[in-house]
Amino acid sequence: MFRRYLINFKQNVQIIHRNQQFIQRQLTPLRYVAAAPEEQTQLEQSHIDEAVRLNPLLSRVPEAQWQKAYETFLNHGLNTSNFLRIAVGNPDVLARPKQRIIDAFENWRSCQFGEKLLFLLLTKYPELLNVSDGLRLRKHISYLKTFAGTDKNVWKLLMNSPDLMEQSEHRIEEKVKYLKEVMRIEIPEIIKSEALSKPLEEIRCRHVFLERLGLFVPRPKKANPDEPSKNPRLYQITNTSEKTFATKVCHVTLIEYEAFKELYERELQRAEDDADEDEAREGKRGYKK
Amino acid sequence: MLRVNSLVYLQMRLKSQRWAFKGKKTNTQRALESFDDFYGSVFGIRWKNIRAALLTEHKYIAVVNNFGDADKTCNGMELNGALNIKSLIKVVEDRLGRNNKLSINGSNNTLDENLFKVLCRQEEREKQSLYPMSSMAETSVQLQYSAGNTTEFKSNSENGENQKFIESLEMAIENNTQLANSRLIDPQYGTGGLYEFMPANKIKGMEDWIPESDHYKYYSTHTDFPLKFELETEFYYPDNLKLYTYEIGNCSEFITPQKCLTGALSHYLLDGASVLPPLFLDIKEGDRVLDACAAPGGKSLIMLQTLFPDTLVCNDIQESRLNRIRKVMQEYIFDYKEKWENKRILFNQCDAKYMDNYESFDKILVDVPCTTDRHSVTVNDNNIFKSTRIKERLRIPELQADILANCLRLLKPGGSLIYSTCSLSPVQNDGVVHMALQKAFNENGITATVKDLSYIIMFFEDIFKFENNKVLKYGQMVLPYLPANYGPMYFCKLMRNM
Repeated sequence: MFRRYLINFKQNVQIIHRNQQFIQRQLTPLRYVAAAPEEQTQLEQSHIDEAVRLNPLLSRVPEAQWQKAYETFLNHGLNTSNFLRIAVGNPDVLARPKQRIIDAFENWRSCQFGEKLLFLLLTKYPELLNVSDGLRLRKHISYLKTFAGTDKNVWKLLMNSPDLMEQSEHRIEEKVKYLKEVMRIEIPEIIKSEALSKPLEEIRCRHVFLERLGLFVPRPKKANPDEPSKNPRLYQITNTSEKTFATKVCHVTLIEYEAFKELYERELQRAEDDADEDEAREGKRGYKK
Repeated sequence: MLRVNSLVYLQMRLKSQRWAFKGKKTNTQRALESFDDFYGSVFGIRWKNIRAALLTEHKYIAVVNNFGDADKTCNGMELNGALNIKSLIKVVEDRLGRNNKLSINGSNNTLDENLFKVLCRQEEREKQSLYPMSSMAETSVQLQYSAGNTTEFKSNSENGENQKFIESLEMAIENNTQLANSRLIDPQYGTGGLYEFMPANKIKGMEDWIPESDHYKYYSTHTDFPLKFELETEFYYPDNLKLYTYEIGNCSEFITPQKCLTGALSHYLLDGASVLPPLFLDIKEGDRVLDACAAPGGKSLIMLQTLFPDTLVCNDIQESRLNRIRKVMQEYIFDYKEKWENKRILFNQCDAKYMDNYESFDKILVDVPCTTDRHSVTVNDNNIFKSTRIKERLRIPELQADILANCLRLLKPGGSLIYSTCSLSPVQNDGVVHMALQKAFNENGITATVKDLSYIIMFFEDIFKFENNKVLKYGQMVLPYLPANYGPMYFCKLMRNM
């Protein structure tokens, strides 16, 4: 009962998360419109108007705050267009005291992604500037590094799945273990996909479906790494919507995949229940051939 | 001689890469591999959908027990959103408007060709594993042969095949001797040259070895018995039978059967496709019915729930299996011991192919043992794909045809039977029906009419997914399909001619 509640809760969180991503994606092209050309370094009233149009929440920010925040960002090496993108994506930043913004920058700098890549990351996901606990950030980044290998890989990983920062080590560990040991997928492929921002249940469901269709065979351990595998790539499995996954990757109809999801969830549930219960009740099961 | 053998052996060893690396295969893996290979070529791209469905939980139909609180159970089911199949059929009947579309099963289909290809490929593979050296020479011949036009292999496929096999064997042996001659050995090491090599004509310990390709040879396309098709247009749904299920795409479950006031259980759950054979058998009041391979008793119970059979004989090969049926009957039938056992239900323990009360049944349900595809890919215990049961598995079609041919003899003239399997294999389905019809005609002079069920399955098209009847010769088949995960179930209706 509790477990079901938990799963429902997780799904809701996931839906909210996706909606956010969706809004962001919609905004992205508009942000470029709002952004001033590179050489034009001054913040003008027209920029602010455009930004307010894109994100009405910004209308509450007084002129003085705009200027103050703008200067802080400029001092840290960001240009006007990047600043505007961050402001549109995360209006709360403008209202923060100067020191807090600087701290956030310093914390991120300590991850050593390099100035250019860091700005790319922060403008893509302005929410990342909300960090306040530097220690926790460093701990988490160094944890990500344990399986990603290099700083650059950690950066790539965050570019694809920024919500890794909010997931517990335990949950990430579970997913990496599943991807590496059951699906036998190598780290470079994991990094290129959004797999780690999906819940383990979804990854497993899609993987098992492909396996039962006969479309996914785990690579043999001794296989030549240069030999391309016939399996669909991980990004095709995890970065797709239900419909695209069913029709373009699995080549089945959507209702077949939906039926499978329902049946598979029940199958897992039953396996768990069976493991909990004693085998003594086996005889009382109502189902027969 | 020994050295050449070990050379061949070494080659084989190098060829099979998994030899050293992989652990032992489980029976379900073995079954799946065999299906991937065989069904992949029979069903083409549709196989992957079927495969996923087979590996996933199947869907049930509930048979409401008339001896329990039937009304209460029905209400409960309807409250849960289940469909009453009886009302569904009524709706479809209105929709079809009784305008009979006549379509006799096409005898010309691609299945024959497909199976022929499977056979060739399997033979090829076996030859290669036995005689790896001769593989090069072989393929060219094989290719030429399969490129030949279809009429050729329809007429003399059997003879041609065997001859080909013998020819290739000889050729392989010849190649081996050449190989032996070409290897010169320094005379100081050996006394006898290898030119004295005697090719092996028997492999020790493999005296009763059956190659896998023999299995596919059971499917013959050659007809020399009278064959008549007749379209079945009448279908009566028995008034007393109450079946419930969910529509396509709805994967809800039924509650577990409850004990009713009468002491009997409220409903029986079984794979949805299993209700079709007893329904299409069209049992009339007062019929004497035989269930030739009855365990575990689900289909027998359905026939009893119609209350039509005068007597129902449940036959099975083992007493332990009969006991399972007895248990089911006791659980589901009120007053079973006093009023039913040995009066309206008789038990008979016998191999169905040796039953000898000829011409004594109106209706027979022949639900033969088969590779039980769904079971084979999911359960490891007592799996038919176990390596120790290989001989049994490859000879299944023979057993099935024997049972079916014998059941045709048990029918009264004019009586009808349903042959059913839960396998997708055309060898065990159409192939066996063909073999049995031939056998019954050749040995006992019995002729039968094949009842074409393609019209009456239309009543069920809203809940089942059927195989396109252009692909099948004699019967119909329910395909596993995720949103309606029933079956597989093949059934074919035969009527013994007067």
